[in-house]
Amino acid sequence: MSTTPDSVLQSLSDDLAAAVAKASLSVVAIHARRRIPSSGIIWRPGVIVTAHHTIQRDENIIVTLSDGTTVGATLAGRDPTTDIAVLRLNSEVGVAAERATDADAKVGQIVLALGMPGSAVTAALGVVSATGGEWRSWHGGRIDQFVRLDVSIYDGFSGGPSVDARGRVLGLNTSGLARASAMTIPLRTVERVVEQLLSAGRVRRGFIGLGLQPVRLQAGVVKEQGLPREVGLMVVSIEEGGPAHAAGVSLGDVVIAFDGAPVSDPSELLGALSGERIGSAVVIRLLRGGSPMELHITVGERQRRKEHA
Amino acid sequence: MTVTPIDGSTLAAGSALAAGSALAADIELERLAAFVRSYTVEVLSRGRSSAGSGVIWHADGLIVTNAHVVRDARPQVALGNKEVVEARIVAIDKRFDLALLSVRGDGLHAAPIGDAESLRAGSLVLALGHPLGVHNALSLGVVHTVTTERGLPRYIAADVRLAPGNSGGPLVDTSGRVVGINAMIVGGLGVAIPSTVVRRFLRQVSASGAVNLSVPLAA
Repeated sequence: MSTTPDSVLQSLSDDLAAAVAKASLSVVAIHARRRIPSSGIIWRPGVIVTAHHTIQRDENIIVTLSDGTTVGATLAGRDPTTDIAVLRLNSEVGVAAERATDADAKVGQIVLALGMPGSAVTAALGVVSATGGEWRSWHGGRIDQFVRLDVSIYDGFSGGPSVDARGRVLGLNTSGLARASAMTIPLRTVERVVEQLLSAGRVRRGFIGLGLQPVRLQAGVVKEQGLPREVGLMVVSIEEGGPAHAAGVSLGDVVIAFDGAPVSDPSELLGALSGERIGSAVVIRLLRGGSPMELHITVGERQRRKEHA
Repeated sequence: MTVTPIDGSTLAAGSALAAGSALAADIELERLAAFVRSYTVEVLSRGRSSAGSGVIWHADGLIVTNAHVVRDARPQVALGNKEVVEARIVAIDKRFDLALLSVRGDGLHAAPIGDAESLRAGSLVLALGHPLGVHNALSLGVVHTVTTERGLPRYIAADVRLAPGNSGGPLVDTSGRVVGINAMIVGGLGVAIPSTVVRRFLRQVSASGAVNLSVPLAA
């Protein structure tokens, strides 16, 4: 068998290795937990983006660049809802990753997942296995596109980039948003969250202080009131002194709409409580004793809890 | 470029590429798999259904496999044509986890040996073997990382799916050259002993006088 330098497999192999070599310049190892380090991406010189759940301390973080130099870093902010954390290096070093900002991930597209769980950058090959629209994580974070990868997950993989065949970053890999499958957080989400974390140190989220449970509405009431949905959210707890409490919401009320949009799942309400609503008065529509009524709630800000993965 | 299937026929240069590079890659993969099969053998131990794989290193009948695959004083080797022959153990080195077997067989094809030092993270590699009793299973992936010891490759970690029975089989580059001997699975990664280490092992065997060949084992 002759070896031709222009064989398709050989040139594919060369392209993949070149993509890894190029993207590697912007991959780092982060020592912020016990045992193996996690991975991170140089977002711009001096700024690292990584997976929140791998950062187990806020200070005394050591970052190893792909050329072996080590730099101290501190946590600039973290958003547990999207599993994104941002670190600031003690010096403005590093090569910013090139980003594939022009296109959404497509099913079947070749991806390389890079990581640096030690002294060297490592690579895994796969394809984009599923894509979908915007979704919400378990913790209520908004992710702009659903992108699941058919790539093996190795220790230390979280926080590293998935890159295309040209070595451009498609997203931030994490095993923290879905069980047993590799997800990549798309660039748009990373960009949005990073900007908020760098400017405010956190992602601001609205808060009304209600515990809610989906309940099936009485068929007669749905018909009589011409309600768009058959399920509402029953108030099962109210935070003392919180916005909903101040607005006069009672236990047993059933919330059917928030700011004009019907709600039948707590995640819909969580989604509507984005940071820009903080301080504004929103109309909440509910059923009390089977009769509809409206209340005005001034959205507060969700206080940060100490949340560690 | 020309795409030459293993049966010797020649596809028109443009036909595969016109249909897309994915098809061209597919045809090459098929050809490559057939080529790697021609020098990959199965190493059997008595009383066991699955044992391991091996690589025909020399057409005189020398086969390289893992030491841990050879559990028998008189192992047997199933050649590509399903012929099962008795093998003699020439040398075993548990430290390298390598073994050299010798068989008598006609028309054996020796594997071309590649250079593990040329591998980079992201380079495409293939593994062939007989995992869990499945014959000639092919697995495709990329080099995860090559760990070195005193500047020399010590292990190749590759993102290829392996299972027991792959042990002793070849890890090859896109030209079908053997760059490593698959030896273990660590954290889901395939780990292979680089061809450079196999050569070192063979030099030691050769120096000990265990084999006497007209052709040097390892240059």
